[in-house]
Amino acid sequence: MHNGQRFWRASALLVTASLAFAACGSDANEEGVGATGEGGAATKTVKIGVIAPLSGELSALGQGIRNGVDLAIKQANDSGKVKGWRIELAAEDDTAKADVGAQVATKLSSDSQVAAVVGTLNSSVAEQVAPILNRASVVMVSPANTNVALTGRDKLPNQQRVYNTYFRVATTDDVQGPFAANYASNELKAKTAVIIHDKKTYGQGLSEAFKGQFEKNGGRVLGTETINPGDKDFTAVLTRIKPLNAEMIYYGGEYPEASLLASQAKQQGINVPIMGGDGMYSGAFFETAKEAGVGTLVTSVGAPTESLSSARDFVDAYKKANYSQPYEAYGAYAYDAAKVIIEALSKTLTETSELNTATRQKLVEETGKVNIDGATGKVSFDRFGDTQTKVLTMYKAETKAGKQEWVAAKTDEFK
Amino acid sequence: MQQFLQQLVNGVVLGATYGLIALGYTMVYGIIQLINFAHGEIFMVGAFAGLAMYSYVLPESMQGNPFIVLPLVILAAVIVSVTVALLVERYGYRPLRRAPRLAPLITAIGVSIFLQELVRLFYPGARSQVSFPRIIEGPNLELGGVTIARTSLFLLVVALALMVALQTFIRTSRTGKAMRATSQDADTARLMGINTDRIIVLTFALGAALAAVAGVMQGMRFVSIDFRIGFLGGVKAFTAAVLGGIGNITGAMLGGFVLGIVEAMTTQYLLGSAYKDVAAFVVLIAVLVFRPQGLLGERVAVRA
Amino acid sequence: MIVSRVATSTSERLQATFTRPVRLAVGGAGSLLVVAGCLLPWATFFFGFPGKVTLAGFPGGSRLYPLLLVAVAPLLLVAVEGRRRAGLAAAWGVFGITAFNIAAIGFGRDLPLGLLEERGGGGLGAVAIGAWLALAGGALLIAAFASLPSSDEERPFRPGLPAALELLTIALSLGLILFAVVIALEVDETSRFISLIAFATAAGMTLARLNVFAYVTELFDRHRTVTLAAAAIAAVVFPFTQGGNAYWIRVFASIGVFAAAAIGLNVVVGLAGLLDLGYIAFFGVGAYVGALFAGAARTTVHVKLPFLVVVVMGAVIAAIFGVIIGAPTLRLRGDYLAIVTLGFGEIFRILAFNFDWLTRGPNGISGVPDLAIGSYNFGATNEVLGFSLPGFANYYFVELILLAAIILAFTRLNDSRIGRAWIAIREDETAAAAMGINTYRLKMLAFGIGAFMAGAAGTVNAHVTTQVSPDSYGFLESILLLAAVVLGGMGTIGGALLGSAALFIVPEKLRSFQDKRLLLFGIALIVIIRFRPEGIVANRRRKAELHDADPSTGDASGAPPGAPVVGAVAQ
Repeated sequence: MHNGQRFWRASALLVTASLAFAACGSDANEEGVGATGEGGAATKTVKIGVIAPLSGELSALGQGIRNGVDLAIKQANDSGKVKGWRIELAAEDDTAKADVGAQVATKLSSDSQVAAVVGTLNSSVAEQVAPILNRASVVMVSPANTNVALTGRDKLPNQQRVYNTYFRVATTDDVQGPFAANYASNELKAKTAVIIHDKKTYGQGLSEAFKGQFEKNGGRVLGTETINPGDKDFTAVLTRIKPLNAEMIYYGGEYPEASLLASQAKQQGINVPIMGGDGMYSGAFFETAKEAGVGTLVTSVGAPTESLSSARDFVDAYKKANYSQPYEAYGAYAYDAAKVIIEALSKTLTETSELNTATRQKLVEETGKVNIDGATGKVSFDRFGDTQTKVLTMYKAETKAGKQEWVAAKTDEFK
Repeated sequence: MQQFLQQLVNGVVLGATYGLIALGYTMVYGIIQLINFAHGEIFMVGAFAGLAMYSYVLPESMQGNPFIVLPLVILAAVIVSVTVALLVERYGYRPLRRAPRLAPLITAIGVSIFLQELVRLFYPGARSQVSFPRIIEGPNLELGGVTIARTSLFLLVVALALMVALQTFIRTSRTGKAMRATSQDADTARLMGINTDRIIVLTFALGAALAAVAGVMQGMRFVSIDFRIGFLGGVKAFTAAVLGGIGNITGAMLGGFVLGIVEAMTTQYLLGSAYKDVAAFVVLIAVLVFRPQGLLGERVAVRA
Repeated sequence: MIVSRVATSTSERLQATFTRPVRLAVGGAGSLLVVAGCLLPWATFFFGFPGKVTLAGFPGGSRLYPLLLVAVAPLLLVAVEGRRRAGLAAAWGVFGITAFNIAAIGFGRDLPLGLLEERGGGGLGAVAIGAWLALAGGALLIAAFASLPSSDEERPFRPGLPAALELLTIALSLGLILFAVVIALEVDETSRFISLIAFATAAGMTLARLNVFAYVTELFDRHRTVTLAAAAIAAVVFPFTQGGNAYWIRVFASIGVFAAAAIGLNVVVGLAGLLDLGYIAFFGVGAYVGALFAGAARTTVHVKLPFLVVVVMGAVIAAIFGVIIGAPTLRLRGDYLAIVTLGFGEIFRILAFNFDWLTRGPNGISGVPDLAIGSYNFGATNEVLGFSLPGFANYYFVELILLAAIILAFTRLNDSRIGRAWIAIREDETAAAAMGINTYRLKMLAFGIGAFMAGAAGTVNAHVTTQVSPDSYGFLESILLLAAVVLGGMGTIGGALLGSAALFIVPEKLRSFQDKRLLLFGIALIVIIRFRPEGIVANRRRKAELHDADPSTGDASGAPPGAPVVGAVAQ
């Protein structure tokens, strides 16, 4: 007892003393910090956020987005694109979940240096993130959301923009699906098709858009099947559709399942072409599909990389920057999204201005007016914040010198 | 009819993989009443170990010869899976034998997340799907309009052979007898001079070896693997083990086949493949409601 | 093994050579070195390492932690000898934090696993004198404490304060917890975060070995009302500490929802002992009801009901689901029940995925509007007493009320006849039935009540997240909820709260590790359960069962394999 009391008193004394000690220290500035930083001339900092899945299943795509933005920022800082300002990256992980997305959106929007955000990957996450960023007047440019409803274009007849700060450089389902349907009817001369999709927002939306246009063109959809993302064995589904003898299969989904589907279809003796969207347009498709993937058709936004010098520049710069992960399907879009933001920033911020309500408002306006040549082609927005680029390319899988690759079959503007 | 037969074959092949993984669940549960949720990841790790053997160890000149490739790939998978499983048992589960029964479950979840992330972060390219060699090449076999891939047939043969071997081992060998004794009553088994710790280790090792084989087979069939296959495969395999009667070796295999066939048939004749998992679980629930010990499980009154 | 033997012999030698004056001199010198080291710069030049580590006379960044730890060290040496283990924990903490920071300053992201985001600064040349002094001081302290005789370890901590001071201690402890939380949330840089974790571990171990925790817990128990009131005040005050920033308030609101559901699960798992692996489905039912009837932008049910009605409705519908699911399955035992509930959970998710006409499938129901009572909108920012409160604080408070209600219900149930019957069932179902307990009906009741609580939490969650989609209610979420209950400590409220807070905050704080966060999370789960199998906040009885060596069962390896000590069935 006695001992305890002594301890108690002594400890109270010591803790107080040490806390006082700690508090006494001067909170002075550290030499080297502030005034010059390491960029040299830059004085003020503005941040571009990224909200994407950086961990978990979709991290490959998310890391590609992060790196794309990082590359654009580095280039802008090196060339001093926004005079008097240094741009920083603030990447946050949404784990592809809507509620986590909302949390990091709140985090970024309460950081007074964040002017804009590139993201998200998933449309479902964007539905959470967009309203939060909109309320805080933070510009959001998505490299990958394809769900039409996000910009409000689907609300016929009185179409109305939903979130004023929301933009996207990705082409929506209602452009890509019909483009594919027209190709199927006009070039493949297909009259019948079977649709398979993965029941995700992206896959289902794309499939429905394809179906609408295909039927308008006089084609018939003989059946619609769904598969579970993550499944590996699609033989049961393929056995079921085989006797329908459709002239083609449209698949709404991403390449991991698509490549398995292509490979197992060949094994089951189904030899009709499989067609899909940009979620399938990846070199990784062939790693699994191999020669079974030959003949597969995919749509993707913009003209082929070979025909655009800006795209080649992006690929070269990305390689040179030595990122540990590839840029994947959306790296180039993310790069463009960041370039859009940087372009708007350069029009908004000057050496004397601050990041405040007025400049944020101006940034939103300037983003809407941006018109640049990006890695994926021309980038500009319509009054909904959707990209005006409706140039799409149909790619076909072919074997060249023993290796499978995507070869551009037709590039056209969708009207 | 032809479609029915084809779906039957599809289901049986799918079920064989479930069954192979389910054996590990069922054996471990039989011995120490532990749901080893990390077992699915052992299966995944096996697949990656096999792939590593193929891609990084085997010289390219040998890669075309299945008689050299297959044994080596399976050997690598088994060694790595067994090692991982034993480490998990020794440092994860064994210290928790006296803990509340849910504590090891949390360890299992932790191990599961840890192994997935380890593979995703440190196996080259494993952030997304990686391709796996087919190893057994050649055209599909056709039998009365029913198609079956060579790898699928091989999987079926191997699965059945392993099951028979395992059953014989447990029925006839001394160690098998000791395993059964431990499973019935560990205390008495110890009093009879059985080293129960050794038996538990052996059980984990056997289960892991079977899962490793299943992992390689899965890779060969789908020519690709990714770090998530363990989680999805694990849930199904666990379901199969319970369906067949947990603790029962034949039951685990049977449960796997039933589950596979139900999935294939639902896709063909019922609501379509979106509902195949619903059908699988409904069958499970129905079986358990009317036969709580599972299809082949023995009626255990109250475990004492 | 070998290492520990060497260590023992070293400390034996130290005990033999260090007389009391020598020990005091070594310890004193060590303490002074640490204090001096922490006030001197730790890095020779500035290269972006966080915490202003190049400044002298100011213990910024990670330098604060060794300083705080060393504050107790001389005192342990001088005032109360015989606190060897406690002193060692503090000393190792000082040494470890300093060593880690030396490595971080020297090599930064070149360290193994690429754990650190910070830049490394030209090897050990970048490490300044202060760090080396602190390291040496830490080593001296370790030596000084190791030389203490290892007897007299388990002295209870009883300061014997007057009642008024005891109450003050309670208030101070809770205030300190709130303060610690607020400080911890501010730390963003990876190296500082790791230092902070090391500090928390070392300080926690020191206090635990001094039996301070036992004392404070006992105080909490003795003055329950005061403790509850103080805790409530701390919870209400929290949003005011955030300076108008909504981020952590939002995280804490999510924790609140999660904790409410976890307490519901605690009724099912912790009290009645029913392993439910599909529990999140009930939460999901509540969330869908909440979103559909709240006038969400994309609802498929065009009926808007008042919030309170929706909460009750969500809870009741979830409870009905609970009973429907329970009826055929609750006759099953143990692990069979687990897999069946897993199956039902998956069925719920798949149906939510495919019933597009009701749930809008994968798109989910989005655009749940802000709550409004009269003309007051819950999304609006408020000024209270000169503090700016972001709109989200309103939801945080709604969450607190829900949580309080659920906690109240749980405590009342726990103390009631029903609660005791549940525990009887959990411990031994056969014996419970023999005692005349209608086990089936009581299990059903537990299932229904658990579902009811989850449903209520779910409806509130629909407003917190403003969107509901099937992906949020999968197997992994059920498992995480279960992990919260088990990790925190089964059958206790504090456990469920702490568990959900840990499962939410730890991944949030691990954000700075980016890609590696799930990996670290997995390791954390394994390690925590390894050392606290009964959970962080243990049920007292359970703790006694686990930690008191029982000669009849022998050591751990000799225990009947798998025979669960708790819930072991009729012998």
